[in-house]
Amino acid sequence: MEKVGIVGYNQVKLQSDANYGRYEMIFEAVRGAIDKAGLKKKDITTVISCTNDYYDGRTISNCFTVEVGGGYLADESKVEMDGAHAVLYGLLRILSGNHKLAVVWGGSMPSCFPYHTTRLYETDPTWERPLAYVNDITAAGFQMRAYMEKYGVSKEEVANVAVKNRKNAAKNALALEEAQNQNITVKDVLNSDIYADPVTELMVAQPCDGVAALLLAPEKQARKITDNPVWITGVGWNQETYYLGDRDLSGSKSLELAGKMAYNAAGIKDPRKEIQVAELYEAYAHEELIFTEALKLADRGKAPELNTNIKGDLPINPSGGAIGGNPPCGTGLIRIIEASKQLNGEAGTYQVNGVKKAIASGQIGMCAQNSILYVLEGGN
Amino acid sequence: MDEKVIVTNKGLVKAEFAFWVGIFLDKFYDNLENKKLIGNECPKCGDVFVPPRKICGKCNIVIPFEENWVDLPETGELMNYTITYHKINDRSDRKVKKPQIIGIVKIDGSSTGLVYRLLDLEPEEVKIGMKMKIQWEDNTKGDPSDIKGFIKV
Repeated sequence: MEKVGIVGYNQVKLQSDANYGRYEMIFEAVRGAIDKAGLKKKDITTVISCTNDYYDGRTISNCFTVEVGGGYLADESKVEMDGAHAVLYGLLRILSGNHKLAVVWGGSMPSCFPYHTTRLYETDPTWERPLAYVNDITAAGFQMRAYMEKYGVSKEEVANVAVKNRKNAAKNALALEEAQNQNITVKDVLNSDIYADPVTELMVAQPCDGVAALLLAPEKQARKITDNPVWITGVGWNQETYYLGDRDLSGSKSLELAGKMAYNAAGIKDPRKEIQVAELYEAYAHEELIFTEALKLADRGKAPELNTNIKGDLPINPSGGAIGGNPPCGTGLIRIIEASKQLNGEAGTYQVNGVKKAIASGQIGMCAQNSILYVLEGGN
Repeated sequence: MDEKVIVTNKGLVKAEFAFWVGIFLDKFYDNLENKKLIGNECPKCGDVFVPPRKICGKCNIVIPFEENWVDLPETGELMNYTITYHKINDRSDRKVKKPQIIGIVKIDGSSTGLVYRLLDLEPEEVKIGMKMKIQWEDNTKGDPSDIKGFIKV
C-alpha cells in the first residue's frame, strides 16, 4: 500500500450536554485541526463527513454541515455511523491519487435526541422493531453473557475493564467528566444500576456530545506538512450477519477478520510482540476483552489475565477508550487520534513508553456487527 | 458557561412508513395467526430459518417459495438471556419498575434464535439451556405480538 499520512487531528471536550450548536462544534473540531497543522481552507481538497440522519434529525444532513466542516466549494461526501469507517473512505480517496488533503470529521450530539430509540431504527422493521425486544441495550446483555458463559469469565473481571478505563479517562482532559473516575472500584461498577444484566451502567460507554477531525495526506504532501506524520500501514474491515440469533456473540468474527487483513497489510506476524498500544472502540467493558482476543492479543477467554494498564504488558485504551466518552459517529475516529497521539508522544499523563506501532479499531451496529482495524506507525 | 440556552426548537417528524413484509413473512404471519410456527430450509446448507427468509446470506442463494417449508414445534432451548429495566419503543426509552427478562430461544429443529420475553419466571430461576415453550396471545392478529413470550416447559 502507498503511504498515507495522518498529518493533523483535533477533538472537542466530550460533554453529556454541550449546550451549544452542533455546527459550532463541528467547526471547532475541523478548524482546530486545520489551524494546528498550519494549513488553510484552500488546502482542503476533499471532505468526508460522518454523522447519521436520525441523529441529526434531518435527511441528507451533510447538506448543512458542508460549510462548517471545511467543505465549501470542495468535494464532500458522507459516511453513516462510525468515524473509523469515514477514515477508510478518506484513505481510499487519497489513494485514488486525486487528492492532496482530506478532512475527515465525525460526531454527534445525543443530548438532542433519544439515543436508544434511534438505535431501535437499526432493527428489522418487519419482524423485530414492533416489539422492540431487540435493541442496543438487550444486545449488550446478550453479548456479555455469551462471553462469560463460554469462557467462565466473572463479572468482576469485566468490571476491571471499566475501572481501568475510567481511571485512564481521569488522566485525559478531553474525556467525558462523568467518566473521569479516579477513585472508582470494582465494587462501584458492580453496584451501579442494572443496564442489561449482567451489564451495569458503569460498564457502558456513555453516549455523549462530541466531534473529532483528522487530516490525511499522501506521502509527499504529508512530509511537507509535518515532521511527524503517522503512517497508516494497514487497514482491514469486515462484516458479519445481522440477526443476533444467528451469531456467536462470545467472540467477534468481524473484528477477527478485519484484524487479519490489517495485520497482513502491515506485515505483522505476531501482534502481541509487535504492537505497543491499542485503542479499541469498546461500547461496553466486555467488548474490550472480546476484541482483545479477536485481535490475537490474548488467547480465547484469557484477555482478563493480560495486564492492559498504561504501564502494563500491553496497554489498551490508555485514553480511557470509548468508556471515557462515546460521541456516536466520533468514537472510532477518536481511537485513531488517540493512537496517533501515542505514536507522536503527545499523550501527556497517559503516554505509553516506546510506542512504535499502534492499532485502533472502530465498529458499527449491534454487538459490533461491522468492524474495522488500523495499524499505525510513527517515524519517517 | 453558567448561562443555559433555553431556546430550543422541538422538531416533530411524523412519517408513517408501511413496510412490505414480503411473501415469505406474509405466509409466516398467516400461520402465526393460527398459532402455528413455520420456517424454511436452505436447500444448500440445510440451515432452518424462523421466521423464514427468501435469501440464505451464507450461501447467497434464493430459497424457492414453492418448497423447503418446515413445520416447527412450539418448543425450544434458551440460548441466552438478559434482564433490564429499560423499555424502548419508537418514540422514547424509559425505565420500568418490574424488570423484563428477554431471552434468545432456539426453536427445536431450527438453526436461528428468536428474541422474546420470558414470562412467569423470576430472574434467579433462569438458566441457559432450559427448555422453553411459546405462550400464545389469546386473540392473534397475524403479527409478531401473536407470540406473547416463552414460558418454562
